[in-house]
Amino acid sequence: MQHFKLIFSATFVAIKRDRLLHALAGASLLLFLLVPVISMFSMRQVQELAITLFLSSLSFTLLIFSILLGVFSIWKDIEKRYIISVLSMPIKRKDYLLGKFAAIALFLMFTVCLMGIIGYGTITFAAHQYQSEIPVSWPNIFTAMLMSGAKYILLAVVALLFSVISTSIFLPIAGTIGIFLAGSATQGLYEYINSGSGAQDISLTGQYIIKALYYLLPNFSAFDYQVYAAYALALPLDTIFYTVCYWLIYTSFLLFCASIIFEKKEFR
Amino acid sequence: MNRLVLTIILLTAYIAVTLPLSASLKSRPDLVKLGYTPSAEVLKYITADQKLLAAQWNVLKVLFYYGTLLDKWRHNIPVAAEYYNMYRTICVAAKLDPYNIDIYYFAQAAFTWEVGRVKEVNALLEYGMKYRTWDWYLPFFTGFNYGYFLHDYKQAAKYLQRAAELSGQQYLATLAARYYYQSDATEMGIAFLKTMLKQASDARERRMYQLRIQALSAIKYLQDAVRKYIRDNGHPPRDLKSLVSSGYIEKLPRDPYGGHFYVDKNGKVKTTSKLALHGKNSDNPK
Repeated sequence: MQHFKLIFSATFVAIKRDRLLHALAGASLLLFLLVPVISMFSMRQVQELAITLFLSSLSFTLLIFSILLGVFSIWKDIEKRYIISVLSMPIKRKDYLLGKFAAIALFLMFTVCLMGIIGYGTITFAAHQYQSEIPVSWPNIFTAMLMSGAKYILLAVVALLFSVISTSIFLPIAGTIGIFLAGSATQGLYEYINSGSGAQDISLTGQYIIKALYYLLPNFSAFDYQVYAAYALALPLDTIFYTVCYWLIYTSFLLFCASIIFEKKEFR
Repeated sequence: MNRLVLTIILLTAYIAVTLPLSASLKSRPDLVKLGYTPSAEVLKYITADQKLLAAQWNVLKVLFYYGTLLDKWRHNIPVAAEYYNMYRTICVAAKLDPYNIDIYYFAQAAFTWEVGRVKEVNALLEYGMKYRTWDWYLPFFTGFNYGYFLHDYKQAAKYLQRAAELSGQQYLATLAARYYYQSDATEMGIAFLKTMLKQASDARERRMYQLRIQALSAIKYLQDAVRKYIRDNGHPPRDLKSLVSSGYIEKLPRDPYGGHFYVDKNGKVKTTSKLALHGKNSDNPK
């Protein structure tokens, strides 16, 4: 536990000091400040557009952060051979991996909270510019933000898994982006093959492949609550509950797989 | 000192170049194009969790394009409108985000009066009603379209009744009742547009409604005078100028769409512009 804490705090401090992340955070803040201005271009849904823009910017920022942190945090240690000296100490590999993961997850949630404070200001400002007949539903917006955070923590774990499998940087980056795109599309494809026209258009083999991918890949579209936030729709509490359970299980499973691979990995 | 001098020189040079550059760019010929939009099915998969943003982007693209067209037409610069492409783009947006109200407002404003694609607009509005179940505007638009354009007063009354129930506004119920009797279509058109204008905040949208109200008010003004003329003389006037010469009106109003008003043999006032700025050369497939 002590070693876990050590790795966790060292990684968190290193992430906080990363200048690249500072630059990206600065760019995101600029994007957020533009939200009320861009929202004014809408004819009738200034407030809804402001919420959409805010959540989209947050999602994009978290996507970049999760890929960068997930891919580079372990890969950099391996590439610079820090890992050999770290693991020569009485630190369990499992603690090292979990410490890295916890620091990344905390940083992503910290980003969500920070951006949330700014988002509160920008959405409130935009909502005052044009009175929408739909009220601003803060619980829905916070749910969408937290779900977004959970999604990108899951993506960071995918990146961590790839980075412990491969010694090259290309597989973790390409693999994570590929899994993200595929995992965001599987729900739509699954619904399509279960619809009347989809079942006719796609061959049986194709349908089996889509079903296999649907159950195998992380379902990122399950974490998308933007439409509930923008239009203040009633939140489906049972779906949220299942999504949270799904997230816990999938993240734990990926971390478990990553720790097994990492335990057996040889460093020279 | 040298640094300061250099900074001043560079700043002066920058201003000296930027101002004429900006002026010359303004006079550059515009390429008013809407561009291609991939199908909703493709966009759904490639935009991941950015579907709402992709939908809004498509709507804004169409709005800016249409705003540019309106400006060109107002300055009598003939530019062919990509109506089919515009309609397709907003349909893509509706599939990505069926809750987006801008889609339905724009479809109602641009594709009914200008292009006459009322049935398609109503289909889109009915699609939107499945999602925006609280919104009275969508049945209000649909009801108006049925009554004013399609002369299906039963359907018009049905949708306006629904709009009245959702909004709790009594005048909509009254309008629904009037549709059952269909008294004066032009007057109803003006009343509808005034309601829309009252709610509109967007400058492009307001301009569109103001222009239409101006034209319909002119038609109503002339139509009232023609009615009086028929009542007094037993037949419609040969042309609208005779309304002026016989003292029914002071002068002929101007068609804001650039056409000329005339009276047909049945005594109905019409305009050569057909209440459209572009006239012809659009890609609207009939």
